[in-house]
Amino acid sequence: MTSQSQFVQPPRFAVWLLTLFALDDEAESILGDLLEEFSLLASKLGVPFARRWYWRQTLKTVLQLAVLGFRTAPWLTTAAVAAGFFLRKLVAPWVEPPIFAVLEKYHVYEHHFSVYMFFASTGIDIGHFITFLFVGFIVAIVARGREMVATTTLGLIFGAMIVVALPVEVMRFGYAMPLSRVMVYFADSLAIVIAGVIVRRHRLGAAARHQQA
Amino acid sequence: MAGRDYLGEFEHIIVLALLRLADQAYGVTVRQEIELRTKREVSIGAVYATLDRLEAKGYVKSHRGDPTPERGGRAKRFFRVTAKGVAAVSRTHRALESMTEGLGFIRSYA
Repeated sequence: MTSQSQFVQPPRFAVWLLTLFALDDEAESILGDLLEEFSLLASKLGVPFARRWYWRQTLKTVLQLAVLGFRTAPWLTTAAVAAGFFLRKLVAPWVEPPIFAVLEKYHVYEHHFSVYMFFASTGIDIGHFITFLFVGFIVAIVARGREMVATTTLGLIFGAMIVVALPVEVMRFGYAMPLSRVMVYFADSLAIVIAGVIVRRHRLGAAARHQQA
Repeated sequence: MAGRDYLGEFEHIIVLALLRLADQAYGVTVRQEIELRTKREVSIGAVYATLDRLEAKGYVKSHRGDPTPERGGRAKRFFRVTAKGVAAVSRTHRALESMTEGLGFIRSYA
C-alpha cells in the first residue's frame, strides 16, 4: 500500500503561489486537480516532466486567477489600488524630514560623519521601503480576498513608472541612474507585494484555524 | 440581451465537455477532455475561470464530492449543465449553423 508520504510532491513554490492567488473556495479544487494530474504524469512520464507541466499550469493559472479576482470584484480592487497610489504620494514627503531632523538634533554630521552618510542615504532608502510596505499593508487589508491582485497591480504600476523614468532621465539630464539605485526603486515596488503576501498568508492561516476549531 | 446571450468560444467548448462527461465532469476530466478533442493545451485556471462565469450566468451548477487521498485530501468539484445552459448551447449551435449554411467553400480550405 502506498502511503501519503511516498507520493511525489509537486513544486512547493508553485503550490504556494497558487494558494496565494486562488480565491478561498477555488483553492481546494484547483490544488486537488493539479495534484491528481501531477501524480498521474509523474508515474507515467517521470517526475521532471510532471514538474515542468505543473509549473506551466501554475503560471497560466495564476494569471487566470488574477484576472478572475479582478473581474469578480473590480471596484474593490480598483479602489484599493488607487488608494494605495495616492497614499504613497501623500506619505512619501514625510520620510526624509524626520530623519534629517534627528541627524541635526544630535549633530551627527559634525561628530559621526559616516553615520550621517549612512542615514542620509541608506536610512532614507529604508524609510521609503517601510513606506511602501505600509502602503502595501493598507492596500491588502482593503482588498480583502484580492490581496495579491491589488498589491501586485500596484507594484507593477510603480515598477512600470521606474522603467519609463529611466530613459526619460537619460534624455533630459544626460544622466543614467546607477544600477544600485534602480534596484532600490524596484525593491520598493516589491515591498508592496511582500505586504500583500504577509496579509494574505495571515488571513489564510486565520481561516484554516477557524475551520479546524 | 440578458438571458439570450450566445456562449463564447471557450464557454461553448466547456459546456460541450460537461455534456459529454455527464456525472464525471470535474476540473481534471474537463481539462483532459478538451485537450484530447481540441488538441490544445488548456490550463486548469482557464477551465475554472470559465466555469465560474458560466455558474454566475446560471448555465452550470457545481457540488463538492468527497475528499480523496490521491488529491491530498482535497474534494473534487463536480459540474453539471442546467436547463438554461442546454438552451444557451442549443441557441449558439443554431446561430453557428445558420451562419455557416451555404458556405461550402469552408470545407475546401480546411
